[in-house]
Amino acid sequence: MKQDRLRQQIGRAFGRLLTRLPILARSWGRRFDALTSDDVPFTRLRKPLHACRIALITTGGVHLRTQQPFDMGDSRGDPSFRAIPADTPAEQLTITHDYYDHRDAERDLNILFPLALGRELVARGALGSLGTGYSFMGHIEPPHVETLLRRTAPEVARRLRQEQIDAVLLTPA
Amino acid sequence: MGLVARVIEAAGIATVCVVGLREIAEQVRPPRAVHLKWPFGHPLGEPGNRAQQLSVIHYALAALYTVEEPGTILDPDWRWRRETYAEPSSWVMP
Repeated sequence: MKQDRLRQQIGRAFGRLLTRLPILARSWGRRFDALTSDDVPFTRLRKPLHACRIALITTGGVHLRTQQPFDMGDSRGDPSFRAIPADTPAEQLTITHDYYDHRDAERDLNILFPLALGRELVARGALGSLGTGYSFMGHIEPPHVETLLRRTAPEVARRLRQEQIDAVLLTPA
Repeated sequence: MGLVARVIEAAGIATVCVVGLREIAEQVRPPRAVHLKWPFGHPLGEPGNRAQQLSVIHYALAALYTVEEPGTILDPDWRWRRETYAEPSSWVMP
């Protein structure tokens, strides 16, 4: 428990440092032990943009103030997601994610989860419509990667299909 | 994020990821990625910079139509600051 708290504190301090020092972030990225893949799934988008139903997804830990925050108590991350209705005003959203500096994103959510800009693009006819958005937190490590891959990400994919989403724009922390 | 994109794409929905670390995207291999070497927490730019935010969104959505090779990582090479952005004039795609 104590060890987990220490991991958390180190992770948090490191996350802030990465935000401030891009060079450090790059070197961390090179050593990061990500799940590697040889094959890449691919689906062609055949509709024109003005007819597309688009969904936004972020891994920046965004959620409604009324939703349960992401679990920062587990240093291996939280593989759950939060559904965010497309018409949610920015004031009803907040960010729970200790591993990056999100003060700017809280001032202007369009830099991370551009719901307001998306709605504007729909209003001017650039996009067909905006579907329910989804938010995860990044920084997910084993054993939670398995939960993400087998449970929560497929559940989001299922909901996107149900809502007849044509394309998704994903943004990181 | 790339892992989530892969699951969604495999379910038959086109995705595009904005990524800050090319090295991770090269390993995870999301179907389409736009790489911007910008600080964490700012994938679409600076607060209040509408033209910058819309430029990235426009570039990413265009990638949904232009990328032919699965796993492509595009590099617009836009600097974090000292770059002048104009709001995209047309959103007609393709």
